[in-house]
Amino acid sequence: MNTTTKKRLKIIALLALTGIVIAAGVIIYLFNMPHRDVQAAAADYSINAEEIVTEYLKDALVANEKYLDAEGESKILAVNGVISEITEDYNGDKVVLLKSNNMQAGVSCTFTPETNVQTANLIVGDQVIIKGVIRSGASYDEDLEMYEHVIMEKSSIQ
Amino acid sequence: MKTMFHEYKNLKLKIMSKKTMLTILAVAAISFTAMSQKLVTSKSNIKFHSHTAAEDIDANNTKAVGTIDTKTGEVVYSVPMQAFEFEKALMQKHYNSPKFLDTKQFPKAKLTGKITNLSKIDFSKDGTYNVTVKGEMDMHGVKNPIEEQATITVKDGKVSTNTKFKIVLADYKVAFEKGKPSTNIAKEVEVTVNAEYITKS
Repeated sequence: MNTTTKKRLKIIALLALTGIVIAAGVIIYLFNMPHRDVQAAAADYSINAEEIVTEYLKDALVANEKYLDAEGESKILAVNGVISEITEDYNGDKVVLLKSNNMQAGVSCTFTPETNVQTANLIVGDQVIIKGVIRSGASYDEDLEMYEHVIMEKSSIQ
Repeated sequence: MKTMFHEYKNLKLKIMSKKTMLTILAVAAISFTAMSQKLVTSKSNIKFHSHTAAEDIDANNTKAVGTIDTKTGEVVYSVPMQAFEFEKALMQKHYNSPKFLDTKQFPKAKLTGKITNLSKIDFSKDGTYNVTVKGEMDMHGVKNPIEEQATITVKDGKVSTNTKFKIVLADYKVAFEKGKPSTNIAKEVEVTVNAEYITKS
């Protein structure tokens, strides 16, 4: 084996090694890819609670096309509305419902263990802007015999 | 004088019959409300669990809305599919994608059923009741008949339910053809549902 072949082999081996390291890095990154930080991200839409509910009740297909993402990273909304109810979900996270009396459905916003504290001083009747990621739209369900709210999660007060 | 008395009596009778009518109406209205009494939950947890030799995958969803009609035994669950949360972001993306549950196209799954042994349950008495729910599940745009066992618990006037059942992903046309997900996701997924109900106001 002459020196040029040796050199070539060395380079090939080095390139292969670099390739393997990069591939491993990408796989590890993808596998451990963090969830999107909704609180840190800017809102895609600033909208009134009434507007988005009306959009959904008018045409859910059009609204889903506009707000939902195929991989679940749906639009981040900053929703302006009046608080009609403050409850807790199964995990003990705060759920603030934005709904005026004239609305058939509202926007239900679930907070996180980190943002729950922001709801401590809120009372029914307060007007607030809540940012969160939309999970599903409002609709009338004839089996439930009731209106379902727009659902937002990862919520925080703006 | 006699006729006046007679008229007075007649009037009294008329008033009385009106009162009786009103009472009957009121009773009817109350029993009608009782007849259509619905329990509602928005405090629930639905868990998917998939087990393979390669890995265990869990996802949780607390955003479902459900009702139980205590008079007819009708059970309904509406589940916003994008609210399932996975530990790994990549898994969540796979799950939502058009290749898997296509949650943009099918944002909600729905279960409608009926408790087949409703007469066994006394919603006003503390106890644990084993029930069977028979109906239909609509997920990923595919409807399948279901028949599952569940437990209804009544404690201090509060109703909660618990159930665990398996669904075969292929029944709902959910399948990864090839690649890592096809080996790491079980063909049969275990679903656990816990819910706390309140009376619909």
